[in-house]
Amino acid sequence: MPDTLSIKRISATPSALIPLASLRSGGPVYSKLVDISKCIGCKGCEVACKEWNDLKVEQTTNFGSFQSHKDLSSNTWLLMRFNEVEDGDDMNWMIKKDACLHCEEPGCLFACPAPGAIVQYQNGIVDFNQDNCIGCQYCVSGCPFDIPRFDKETKTVAKCNMCIDRVESGLEPACVKTCPTNAIEWGIKEDMLALADKKLDRLRERGYEHAAVYNPGGVGGTHMMYVVPHGDRLEDYSLPAHPTASPGQLRGLNVLQRVGSYLLGFGVISALVHFLAVGPDGPEESA
Amino acid sequence: MGTPMLSRFTFLERIVHWVVGGTFVVLLLTGLAFAYPPLFWLTTFLGGGAASRALHPQIGALFGVGIVFMFGLWVRDMFLDGRDRQWLGAIRHYAAHDHDKVPPAGKYNAGQKMFFWVQSILAVVFIATGLLLWFPESFGSGLFNTARLLHYTATLGGGLFLIVHVYLGIVAYPGTARGMIDGKVSPAWARHHHPRWSGERVDR
Repeated sequence: MPDTLSIKRISATPSALIPLASLRSGGPVYSKLVDISKCIGCKGCEVACKEWNDLKVEQTTNFGSFQSHKDLSSNTWLLMRFNEVEDGDDMNWMIKKDACLHCEEPGCLFACPAPGAIVQYQNGIVDFNQDNCIGCQYCVSGCPFDIPRFDKETKTVAKCNMCIDRVESGLEPACVKTCPTNAIEWGIKEDMLALADKKLDRLRERGYEHAAVYNPGGVGGTHMMYVVPHGDRLEDYSLPAHPTASPGQLRGLNVLQRVGSYLLGFGVISALVHFLAVGPDGPEESA
Repeated sequence: MGTPMLSRFTFLERIVHWVVGGTFVVLLLTGLAFAYPPLFWLTTFLGGGAASRALHPQIGALFGVGIVFMFGLWVRDMFLDGRDRQWLGAIRHYAAHDHDKVPPAGKYNAGQKMFFWVQSILAVVFIATGLLLWFPESFGSGLFNTARLLHYTATLGGGLFLIVHVYLGIVAYPGTARGMIDGKVSPAWARHHHPRWSGERVDR
């Protein structure tokens, strides 16, 4: 089913704080569901992401890991991280599909000062529009998951766009399409949550008693959720336990914006009133 | 006509003042654009958002150099003494233009000296946090957001100071601005606003 891509929030506009709703809401809200227990480490999703989004290839090096790249970049929007964790005599891969989680309350968008550089759609996708990006990188520090990457050549920031052009046409994102084990699923978020519950039941039957769904409330939930076998060891997956979209400093900034605009206006008006009250002082001669 | 004018600021002082003042105004306008979305259109003056983002820190570096130089140039005259404290005690009369009730000021009155010190502290905040915001990849995001908050708070203080500075220098006290243009003030102006300084000048 094609999606009309109705807008929910636009950065640096009033809709960043009060989402556009009413007429525009009611359409499908999607989510990816990444079942880490089903990932076989083929990295097909990484290739599909590069191909579909036409992202530049980067020279990789062997740095003693199964992982392809060391880090995300403005041209690598998806990276399968293979964190190696020792469990007694065994080594475990705590795999993480590192890419934008498409937060319901996106910290990047809240931090962005450039109108229209970041747009959130009613379907849950958070997309960067590089034409409007000014390269300040406020989004980088606004993101609790360390996802956006600055491109030194274009002086703009980039990240996963959930293959928005595919979703718009009723298709699933490229990584979902290519995954051979269905470790990445795609659908209506409610259906994905129901599916996640079933997966949790199965994992618990298999002895993963701490299996959990990662859909953190601090960012209003995400539109890429994880099923993690070891829900009690999030840090081993490099998943923050308590991410937040509005740290104290950003809330402070919102207050400052409101107070500041009034204070500066008050300053100008005070000067005018002062002049009307007491006028100029001193000799007015000109030589 | 024909009255000999007093020289208040040297050419070097005027150049430094206008480097700092000029860069500050541009920084304030682009900074307000980044800090307050309804004013984002102010980026137009420097050629748009991306150009403003690129130029703001570079102009900031010039501002930083200028204000450090200015500090060195003027700091000797800016320490407050007992008479300055008396002046501050009478600041209400100063604001009301009750001239006779204000203790006579030297080359700079206590308000100007306080302005100098607050401005210097704000400059330190601007420069330290500005460097952080310029090179975000070198620092953690918690520090970055704190720097942003401090930079914006300093902007608010600096903006209010600019309003006071421009109002007093251009509107409220006629004859003052010329001291920063060709460096000259009239003897009458000096006697009225800075009697102890004008006395020094006459004595010499």
